[in-house]
Amino acid sequence: MMRVIVTLVLAGLMALPAQAELLIRITEGADNALPVAVVPFGESGGVQVSENVGQIVRDDLAMSGEFKPLETSRMLSLPSSSDDVFFRDWRLLGQKYLLVGQLSPGDAGKVQARFELFDVNREQRILGATASAPANNLRGLAHHISDRVYEAITGNKGVFSTKIAYVTLDMENDKRVYRLNVSDVDGKQSRVRLKSNEPILSPAWSPDGQKLAYVSFETGRPAIYIHQLSSGDRTRIAQFPGLNSAPSWSPDGESMLMTLSRDGNAEIYEMDIDSRRLTRLTDHWAIDTEPSWSADGDELVFTSDRSGGPQVYAMDDDGDDMRRLTFGSRYNARPRFSPDGDHVFYVHQRDSSFHIARLNIETGEETILTRSKLDESPSVAPNGRLLIYATQQEGKSVLAVISADGGSNYILPSRYGDVREPAWSPFIN
Amino acid sequence: MVENKREPNDYVAQPPWKSPIALSLVLHGAILFFALVGWSWSTPSHEPPPRNISARLIMPEPQAPPAEPAAQPKPQPPAPEPEPEPQPDPEEEARKKAEQQAQEQKRHEDERRKQILLEKKKAEAAAKAEEEARKKAEAEAKAAAQRKAEEERRKAEEAQKAEQERRRKEAEAKAAEEKRKAEEQRRKEEAERKRQEQKERERREAEKRRQERERQQREDQLAALATEAQQEQAAAAQARKEAAAAARARDARMASESEKYEALIRERLSNAWYIPSSAQKGLVTTLEITLLPTGELVSVRITKSSGNSAFDNSALSAVRGVQRFPVPEEQDVFNRYFRTFSIQFDPETL
Repeated sequence: MMRVIVTLVLAGLMALPAQAELLIRITEGADNALPVAVVPFGESGGVQVSENVGQIVRDDLAMSGEFKPLETSRMLSLPSSSDDVFFRDWRLLGQKYLLVGQLSPGDAGKVQARFELFDVNREQRILGATASAPANNLRGLAHHISDRVYEAITGNKGVFSTKIAYVTLDMENDKRVYRLNVSDVDGKQSRVRLKSNEPILSPAWSPDGQKLAYVSFETGRPAIYIHQLSSGDRTRIAQFPGLNSAPSWSPDGESMLMTLSRDGNAEIYEMDIDSRRLTRLTDHWAIDTEPSWSADGDELVFTSDRSGGPQVYAMDDDGDDMRRLTFGSRYNARPRFSPDGDHVFYVHQRDSSFHIARLNIETGEETILTRSKLDESPSVAPNGRLLIYATQQEGKSVLAVISADGGSNYILPSRYGDVREPAWSPFIN
Repeated sequence: MVENKREPNDYVAQPPWKSPIALSLVLHGAILFFALVGWSWSTPSHEPPPRNISARLIMPEPQAPPAEPAAQPKPQPPAPEPEPEPQPDPEEEARKKAEQQAQEQKRHEDERRKQILLEKKKAEAAAKAEEEARKKAEAEAKAAAQRKAEEERRKAEEAQKAEQERRRKEAEAKAAEEKRKAEEQRRKEEAERKRQEQKERERREAEKRRQERERQQREDQLAALATEAQQEQAAAAQARKEAAAAARARDARMASESEKYEALIRERLSNAWYIPSSAQKGLVTTLEITLLPTGELVSVRITKSSGNSAFDNSALSAVRGVQRFPVPEEQDVFNRYFRTFSIQFDPETL
């Protein structure tokens, strides 16, 4: 992608020299991240701010991997409205886009942000808007602005206002402490939702982003719970004999896939959440587990060792049309559909390393996305552009964000030791 | 006479002929009769033979009545024969006497009869001779006549034949003549036809030759013209060729010159183009740009939108991002290629 390859189309260049209009065809662009200048937001009206909104936006855009924000120290001027923008300055700095904004006191103690996005080359404003948030949620306000800027430039919906759920493990007083956390996508504003001395596994977001399902061993046996985030209410929906694991919400939020061994072997079931009625979807002597729905709910992918080792399979939502998807190595597991359903992300073992891989379902093409050694638990951002996964860094487990095509790599900071089992939330209104 | 001849039986039945006169009469009559009849018979020259036969028939009649066999087996005296027979009539005496008389008479009668017969024979012989002579003459005449007739007939036939022959010959000759004439006519016609055909053929051939000649002439003319034209064309072609070669050389130089600058422009645009992440394969935006000879952008407009505004904007921004387009200094190259041209943004690597 870094190479610049251009195909030239000289329609009739030689044959009709006088009348021919030259056509130059550009097939690849600069693979550099887009230079964007996010000017520190101005403050007016005695607004009290506890966060550097401009900085948060700058970090968001940088995390996406698609932008390369200009360092503030290099800026020639710090305009906060269009009146103060001199495009020539930004052009000289090689900037393609310019974001300026101003914070001011809003209604009911909120902070209001006015912001404008300019195309430096065209010397044109392409976005101008206002937004407001409680003074204690300026990060949320900043993520909102990031989403708007991102969408205006790339055409894709931004995911900076979405959340990440993950599980941390710490040793406290020689005891294992498991925490279920929910944070912003930049790892900030994390909050512990559940703390236990027994393992917590496999957090899964409800489609509306209001609930989490997970497996907790808090009773000594694995059980599946549904956790209402706003209220903290928890409901245990599955504690059958044997294994109760790998919950996955249906796109309509009304049912859940899970793996149960209540009938003697690990099989995939679908539970109607209201009635708790179970429908068994697989029936095989091998282990079938880690089911996940496609965004349209028509298909699901899962892991099965029916071929002798773990491989990714797909089937219709009624259990028919079973088919194996992965053949690249003897270990492929924990599949997740991309939001558009074109790809499946999964853990792929090569030699002694485990990487995150992406399979193009239509072509069967497999792409290894990560280069670290022990990568696991991929989870896709709702816009399909980013992927979060757990990996090892300096002997500790950390979360990393990668562009879904394998571009940038961003390690999320965490206050805790080992961080595992990340789950990217859906868009949250 | 005819009656006499026809009624001999009457004589036999009636006794009138008892008398010698009667007999004589009869005899004479008979002679006359014969003569006449013989004449009359002889006259018709056609059938003489049956005369003699008739005489013989009469002869047995007189011999029949007497028991005595006819002394004279000769057939000539048939008529007197019957007369003596009826005499044996009266009584015994009378009859003897009568017989005597009769014998006497008979003797006389025989005498006379012999006489008569003799005479008769003589007469007959004479008659016969005469008859024969006559017959002979007749026969001769007849033969002569016949011969003559035959001759005439033959002659006639011959004449007829000759006539026929003549006619036939005439006809034949005529037919032959006609045939000859017809043949001649036919020959004449044939000859005429042939002559006509020959004439037509000659005419056609002449026409053909004429046409061929004309065609040849035309071709010659055309060839001459063509040659002329060819020469002209060749000259023109040569001129054009030279001009084209010059033009090509110029075009090639200009094209290579333009290619150089196209490559530069592509590089500038590619570096300036930031493909938005929402771009998908198949999105194409086409822009038309107008430059100043200095390479400065006069205008840019979307001639074909991709339908994705972020993508369209990225293309516009890329064009605008190039401060100064690299363009050739040579004005005709610039005017030909770079005053106005199109750029297609068409990501291939997505």
